[in-house]
This record gives sequence, C-alpha cells and structure tokens, in this order.
Amino acid sequence: MATTDSMFLRLVADSFGRRPRHKLLTGAALALGMAVATAALSVALDVGDRLAKEFRSLGANLVVTPQADSLPLEIGGVDYRPVNAGAYLPEADLPKLKTIFWHNNVIAFAPILEVRAMALPFSREGRQLASWIADVPVVGTWADHAVPLPDGGEFHTGIAKTNPWWHIEGQWFSDDGRECAVGRALAQKIHIEVGDSISLAVGRVTKIPAPLKVTAILNSGGPEDESLVVPLSYAQWLAGRPGQYRKLYVSALTKPEDAFARKDPKAMTPAEFDRWYCTPYISSIALQIQQELPGTEVRVIRRVAEGEGQILTHVEMLLWLVTLAAMLAAALAVGASSAASVIERQAEIGLMKALGAGSGTVGFLLAAEQLLLAFVGGGIGYSLGIVLARLLGERIFGAAPEPTLLVFLVVLGLAAIVTLLGSAIPLRRASRIEPAPILRGE
Amino acid sequence: MTERREANRAMFWRILRRLFGANRGRLFVMLLALGAGAAVTAALLNLQVDAKRRLTTEFRAFGPNVVIVPKGSSSSSSETLPQSIIQSVPADVPGGRVTALSALYLVASVSVPPSGKSASAVVAGINPLFFAKVDPSANPNRSASPSENACVAGVRFAKQVGVEQDRDLVVASGDRRESCRVVSFRQTGGSEDNRLEIDLRAAQRLADLPERISMIELIVPGTPAEIQNYVADLQKRIPDAEVRPVRQFTEGEARVYSRISGLLTATVGIVLLLTALCVMAAMTNVAIERKMDVGLMKAIGGATRRVVRLFLAEAALLGLAGGVIGATLGILLSIVLGKAVFGVAARPRLIVYPVTVGLTMLVAILSAFPLRRLASIRPASLFRGEA
Repeated sequence: MATTDSMFLRLVADSFGRRPRHKLLTGAALALGMAVATAALSVALDVGDRLAKEFRSLGANLVVTPQADSLPLEIGGVDYRPVNAGAYLPEADLPKLKTIFWHNNVIAFAPILEVRAMALPFSREGRQLASWIADVPVVGTWADHAVPLPDGGEFHTGIAKTNPWWHIEGQWFSDDGRECAVGRALAQKIHIEVGDSISLAVGRVTKIPAPLKVTAILNSGGPEDESLVVPLSYAQWLAGRPGQYRKLYVSALTKPEDAFARKDPKAMTPAEFDRWYCTPYISSIALQIQQELPGTEVRVIRRVAEGEGQILTHVEMLLWLVTLAAMLAAALAVGASSAASVIERQAEIGLMKALGAGSGTVGFLLAAEQLLLAFVGGGIGYSLGIVLARLLGERIFGAAPEPTLLVFLVVLGLAAIVTLLGSAIPLRRASRIEPAPILRGE
Repeated sequence: MTERREANRAMFWRILRRLFGANRGRLFVMLLALGAGAAVTAALLNLQVDAKRRLTTEFRAFGPNVVIVPKGSSSSSSETLPQSIIQSVPADVPGGRVTALSALYLVASVSVPPSGKSASAVVAGINPLFFAKVDPSANPNRSASPSENACVAGVRFAKQVGVEQDRDLVVASGDRRESCRVVSFRQTGGSEDNRLEIDLRAAQRLADLPERISMIELIVPGTPAEIQNYVADLQKRIPDAEVRPVRQFTEGEARVYSRISGLLTATVGIVLLLTALCVMAAMTNVAIERKMDVGLMKAIGGATRRVVRLFLAEAALLGLAGGVIGATLGILLSIVLGKAVFGVAARPRLIVYPVTVGLTMLVAILSAFPLRRLASIRPASLFRGEA
C-alpha cells in the first residue's frame, strides 16, 4: 500500500517536473481566471455598503415630528404657524438616538426649531445698517454639536452632516457662541457680509438685544437662502422654548427595502418580526427611533429613501450579474485550459493503461494533478484578485474592501470544480482509450 | 510563377482545413475559450454603455430636480409667476423628456361637510394632479382620471382633518369656496404630507389669482452635466424668473453617478483584461502542444516563416469564429441582463460586434505567438523523441 502511495505521489511530482512550462501556463490561466472572480466578488460584496454611504450625501432620510402636532402650514419650506401653535419635543432625549439597536447606522441628526423674528443688521464697526426688518425666518439648529452619549463618549453631528449640500462661505457658528449664518439671498437683500452682526428680537422691543456675529453666508439652493441660521439654544431663547425643538432630521444607513420589508410589521409572526427588527430597513429604524423618543412620529422621507433604495438595488444587481458573467468566462477559459492539458496526454494515458493501470487509477491520478494545480493557481489568483479589488475600491470609493474568508473559499471551490469539470469529459474519453493503437502511434 | 503561387495557396488552405479537422477536441476547447471571452466582452461592453444611460433615468426616482420660482423671492413672499411661462420650457433633452408640474400655494380653511370638522391647511393647486411618482400609498387601480373636482390628501392632513377616500371636502378662502372629492392619499415624508392638492384652476379661483402660479417643478433626465446645461439654458430663456437646481438631489446625484460609472468602467475594464489574459494562457497551452505538427512541416521542407504564418492564419480564423459566436451570445446575454436589472432590454449596439470580434482575433493571434519559439525546433531530434 505504501509503495502504491509513494508511486502515486512520484507520478504527480514527475508530471509537474517534466512539463513545467505546460503546468505553468495552465496554472496561469487558472490564476488569472480566479483573480477575475476574486476581484469581481470582493467588489460586489462591498459595493452595497459603500454606495449606501455615498447616498448619504442626499441628506436625511427620516424626519421626526411631535405626534400631537397641529398641521404645519408649510409653503416652500417655511412654516407659517405661530410659535405657540403645535407641539414641541425635548432636546434632552436626543442622545437616546444613539442607543437604538442600529445606533451605528445613525450617522447624523440635527434638530430644528423655526422662529420668525425681527432683525436689525449692524456693520463690522457697529454702525446700524438698516432699520428693523420684520418677519425674518430664523432656523435654530446644531452646526457641529457634540452630543454626550450614555456610554460616556461623544457624537459629533449637526446640520452640516444631515444637509451636506449646504455650502457655506466662512465657517459654521459654534453652538454656544453668539454667532449665526445668513442665507445668501437675505444677505444680499440687507447688504450683510461675514464679520457684520445682527440683532434678533421677537415681539415688542424694549431694548436692542446683544447682536449675533455673522460667521458664514449660507448657500443652500433652497428656502434657507432667505433665512438666518442660528444655534439651537439661541432659537429656543428667542421662541421662549428652552430645551425644545420641533423637527428632527436623521440620516441613517439602510438596507434597500425588499418585498419582506414592505410587509406590515403588525401582521408578522414573532420570528419574522425579529428578523425585520434586526435588519436595518428604513422602516425598522424608524420604529426603533419612535420607541426611544416617546410622543414622536417618525416618517420616512420617501423621496430620498425610495430613490436610493431603487438605485442601490439595481446597481447591486448589475454588479452581481457582471460578477457572474466574469466568473462564468473565467470558468470556461480555465475549463478549456484543463481540458486541453488532458487531451494532449492521451499517449501517456495509453502507456499507463498498457502497464496495467485501471481507468479509475488513471482518472484519480489526473484529477489529483488538476486539483493540486487548482489550489495553487486559485491561491495565487486570490491574492492577485485581492490586490486588484483593493486598487479598485481605493480608486473609486477611497476605501478598500475587506478580504473575506468567504471569497477565498468560494474561489478555491470554484477553481477545483472548474478544473475537474474541464478535465472530466476528456478523461472519460481517455478511459475508453485502447492502449495499443496509441502506443503504435495511430 | 502564378501557377506555382496558386498551387501554394491551395495547399495553404488545404493544410489549414486539415489542421482544423485533425483534432476535434482541441478545436472545441479553443473555440470554447475564445467564445467565452468574446461573449463576456460583448455583454459587458453593451451593458456598460446602456447601464450608464439607464442610471440617469433611475435618478429621476428622486422626483423634481429643477424648480422655477419668482425672481428675488424664493418662497416666503406671495409673489407669483404667469402660468404661460411653462411654454418657454423646452420639453426635449438628450436624455429623454422633461416632465413639468405647475403649482400655486395658498393657505385655506378646509372642512368636511358632514362632521363639520375644519382646519386651516396649505392647499396646493397642481397641474397635472397625480404627478407624484414616489407614492407608495397610492392605489394604482383607484387613481381616478384627473377631473376638476378631484383632490389628493397628504396623510397627515387626512389624519388631522379626518377624511376618508371618496369624501367631499369644502375648501374656503375669504368668501370664495370650492369643493372636491378625495380620490387618493399621498405620503412622502415631506411637506406634501401636510397639504391638500387640488386642481390648479380651482386653486387659482380660490386665491383670486387667475393664470398665476407659485412655482414650476421639473423632472429633467440626463447626466449631472446635462442637467447643469439645461438649467443655464433655461435661465437664459426666462430671465424674469429664477431657475434653480434642487441642490440636494443634483449634487448627491452627481457624486453617486460618478462613483457608479467609475465602478462600472473599472470593473468592466479589469474583467476584460483578465479574461483576455486567461484566454491567452489557455490558448498558448494548446499551441505549445503542437511541436509535432511544426516538426513535421519543417522536416518536409516548410520554411519557418511559412509554418508560423500557417498557424497564425489558423489562430485568426479561430478568433473570427469564436468572436462571431461569442459576440452573438454576449449581446443576447446583455439583453437578458438588461431586462433583469432595469426591466428594459439593453439596446444592442452594432459597434460592439466588430469591436468584440476584432479583440477576440487579436487575442487569438497573440496567443499563437509562442509558436515562433518553435522555429528553433530541430525536427530530427523531435522525431527521435529527444525534445
């Protein structure tokens, strides 16, 4: 038995040693094919997360409002309700957003409190630029706010993150300073620049309040171009609503909705509900936020969320199909290569059979050779593919996909299956070979 | 002299035919490798061009991306535009057709006659009503044909006022009143949830602003650059109004689009390159097995150049056959894939066909090149079994 084994190994080793060039080429075809498969697979596995992050440049996809609110009279982004109408939400609850099950998926949030106030602009030197301007929309929010987390850390968030399309000239105000940003259109109207200042007041003015310094001109491309953006705490003071806000924008990384996500959570079985709850669908994140922030209504901003979901699904599908096509082509070429290597060895097979080897032994020997080649070629191809995927990922998304064990196993498995399948047909034919004619050279 | 050349040529083709016929297994393997490469090349090239165009259409799921508002005051004032301005909006762009929506906003008091419940709400007069694409709650079977007294209620508005489907509402502003029937609901997560949408003419009567509108929303298909050009062009056409891209979407889109199209190009490029190399390796593997053929030809007096030319011709023919078969399969594949991904079959592009066949032939010829090394073969030692 031991001699048969050592003879077997010797035959395999001999085959590699005798025809190094040939084996090298088959191996190269294998390695290249598997590199295609690895690169395409790694990118396809990673692309969903990366693109989901890119889509967050569209801004918030959830909006939180008080449940008991009156109907907002909002035209062109401006709420015409008086300050004392409608309900408010406590700012102190906000750190809880980072305690929900999918807290890592909540990448930014910003509370909003809108007030209408009178404004009095001053120049840099303190000269009054105009008389009181009535009815200026004032948006109170966080620019870059450090939210203390229950676990002791801090989370930096604010409007700059939830609305990344807001461009500012200058710099964002600090959240506790007496500073503000002025919308582009408003700044033009009242001839104000960075460095000037503005006093704000609500109701009857008895004494001109200390002015806010203008640190930025805001260009939002929307209705905010006509407003003043001030720190949330200042807007709360103006509105006489300390510690309260009216609207909260949340930007969360989500998984595109599929048929399962659209099922009514109330109609789900407990097992289904668990699965739904533990998947970062936008609807399950909305529910979790609602559970954390009592008295709120969390709505999905459909325009953002659905467009995003649709495009993500399609791009992912496209990439998977490209991956499949690439793997198929690689498999065919590798299969062809291994088929060729068996076809050319008919004389050798004939000789082995003439010397008394059974068809099974011959097949086993060749299969062992091909498998060895598959593992070596597949391994090299995998490393090559990982490097490629890394290059691709870094160029396109600025971050390389993590190499995963899954891809490695799939690639090795694919290499083995493809080479064996490729050799199977010629091997079957070879097993029917009559040794005598081959050896006679016919 | 000519006769000899004729005979030579006839012999050349004859040998070529025999080369093909000699080993069916080998022929099949070579065609398989070349055809597979060609199929993937054709499918990816065809899909890549199509997918990018398709994506820009997909982005329109985000809804309007350009708005036209009265100049100087974007929203808070009550300035309006003449309704006729919409006639100066060009309807055709390279990426498809522009969809437009005119709207007039007012705050009115809305009441539900039987219950007498009433609330003050934003009423949007919209033309065409039933514009919204992003509307999961709209029941497609029920979306009645737009009639003058139909209206669409935002979900929060509906909850607050307590209306149901097919209920009649009375909208009043000052001493003017209009009635309408709720035909569907809208949920967008935006300000649309809080308002009632009625026909534009009814809103104009309510506000006593005939032929006036507050804004126009446009859905402009195309790449980010095309949209930018469109906005600039439109602004020139209507200097009296302000044309603004909805930055939230145009900017986000530009970012995402450049990422996706880069991803597609890079993936397709790498896959094609590696596939070519892989096919080449497989083909070379076959080629170096042909020492015997080369040796024999040289032994009976074939010049190295001629022998090599023979094999190159064989490779070119194989590449042609593999390319033609593979490209056909690949284009069919891309049509199926396009249908699976975007629901619309990818349009086959004729240019893909010659490009693929040409590339396949090139790969085939390149992979036959190691045969040049066989020029150094000494036939005698080959036949003695020494090589």
